[in-house]
Amino acid sequence: MDRKVALGVCFIFGLVMFAQYFSQHPAARSINQAILEYWQIIFAFTLLVGVVSVFKNNVVQIRRGQDRSYRLITLAGLVAMPFLALIWGIKADMPFMWVFENIQAPMQSTVFALLAFFVASASFRGFRARSVPAAILLLSALIILLSRSAVGTFIFPQMTEVADWIRHYPSMSARRAILIGIGLGSLTTSMRVILGIERTWLGGGK
Amino acid sequence: MKNIETRHWTFLGLFVCIGLVMLIDVKLDIPVSAQTRKMFDFIDSLPAGSVLMVSFDHEASSLPEIRPIGLVILRHAFAKGHRLIGVALLAEGTVIGYRLMQKTAAEYGREYGQDYVYLGFKPQYIAAILSMGESIPRTFPQDYLGRPYEQFDLLRDVDNYDDVAAVISVTDGSLTTHWMEYGGARYGVRVLSGMTAAMVTTFDPYVASGQMHSLVAGLRGAAEYERLINREVGGERGMLAQTTAHLYVIALVLLGNLIYFRSRRKRKSA
Repeated sequence: MDRKVALGVCFIFGLVMFAQYFSQHPAARSINQAILEYWQIIFAFTLLVGVVSVFKNNVVQIRRGQDRSYRLITLAGLVAMPFLALIWGIKADMPFMWVFENIQAPMQSTVFALLAFFVASASFRGFRARSVPAAILLLSALIILLSRSAVGTFIFPQMTEVADWIRHYPSMSARRAILIGIGLGSLTTSMRVILGIERTWLGGGK
Repeated sequence: MKNIETRHWTFLGLFVCIGLVMLIDVKLDIPVSAQTRKMFDFIDSLPAGSVLMVSFDHEASSLPEIRPIGLVILRHAFAKGHRLIGVALLAEGTVIGYRLMQKTAAEYGREYGQDYVYLGFKPQYIAAILSMGESIPRTFPQDYLGRPYEQFDLLRDVDNYDDVAAVISVTDGSLTTHWMEYGGARYGVRVLSGMTAAMVTTFDPYVASGQMHSLVAGLRGAAEYERLINREVGGERGMLAQTTAHLYVIALVLLGNLIYFRSRRKRKSA
C-alpha cells in the first residue's frame, strides 16, 4: 500500500510538472512556484539527513579507534559551524564567515593548488607516446596547453586557431555525443519513474 | 636525502620556477580571443542602467582563478553604469560574491540598493533557477543582509528574468548548464559565463548552438578582458604563473618521452 501511495504521488507530480511547462495560465504558474518552494524545503531536509549520517559514521569509527584525530576534527567542524551560524548568523563579518574566509577557503585553495604538483609529476611519469592514439592525445594536450599560455602564439602564430579546431571539432563532437546520450537517458529514465516502471528509488522489487 | 624520489624533484622544480617568475615584472602580450571579445561587446553595448544578474556559482577552492574573472566582469558592468543583482547558487560562493561586489561597487562609487543588490544564497540550484523565472521576490524575499526585497529601488521593477538583460554565471563547475537548461530554455534569459579553463570544453557545444551567448575562460580570459577594460585585476599576473607551469609540464612530458624512447631503443638493440 505504501509503495502504491508513493508511486501515485510520483505519477501525479510528474504529470503536473510536465503539463504546467506548456501553460502560462496564472494557476499553472502559481502551482509551479509552490512546488519549487517545497522542493527547496525538502532539499534542506535531505542535507540534515546527510549531516546525521556523517556524524553517526564518524562516531562509530572513533569508537573503533580508526583515524581518531582526523575524525574528531571533522566532528568539531561539523558541530562548530552550525553553532556559530545559529548564534551569530551567516552574514558577512560574522564569526561563521570569518571561519569560512580565513580557514576553509585558504585550506581548499591550498589543496586545489597541490593538483599542479601532482599533474607535473604525473606528466613526467605517465604521459608517454606508447601508441599512435596515445601520441595523438599527447600532441593535442601539448597544443591546448600552449594555446592557454601566453607564449603559444610566439612559438607558432596559428597556435590558437589549431587549438580552437581541436576544441570545436574532435572534442566537441565527442562531447555532443555524450550530451545527447545523457539527454536521451534522462528522458527515458524520467518516463520510467513517472510511469512506475522504474521502482529502484522505492528500494527495489516489484 | 636518500628518500627523495624523482617526483619530489619535479615538485621542487615547479615551486622554484613559479617562485622565480613571480619575482620578475614581465608584461605579457596576450591577444584577445573572439569569445572574450563577444562577452565584452555584449556588456559594452547594453544601455546604461541595464539590469544584469551575476551568479556566483563556485567554491572557494577555485578562488585564485575565479576571482580575476569575477572582478573584470563586475568592473566592466559597473563602469558602464549597469545595475547588478548578485546571487549565489553554491553556498561557498555567497560571501565571496558579496565581497567582490562590495569592493568593485566602492571603486566606482556605486550605491547599494540603487546600483546593486546582493540577494545571497538559495539552496537547490535547479529549483532556485526555475523559481526566479516565476518570481525573484518570492524566491528571495530578503537580500543577503536580511532587508526586504521591496525596500530597494533597483528591485522595484524586477520581478523575473523578463526584467533582466542577462545572467552571468561565474562558475568552476557545470552549474551553468542548469542556467541554460532551466533559465535559458524555459524562461528565455540570456546566459553568459565566466568559468575556470578546465570547464571550457564542457560548454563549447552550448556556445556553438547559441544556448550560451559567450564566455570568459580561465586566467587567460581574465587577462584578455583586463586588456579590453584597461584595468589590472591579477589575471595577467596569474597568467605568468600559469604559463610557467604549462611550460614546465610540457618540458617534463618531453623529457619523460625522451627517456622512454631511449630506453626502448636500448632494450631493442640489446
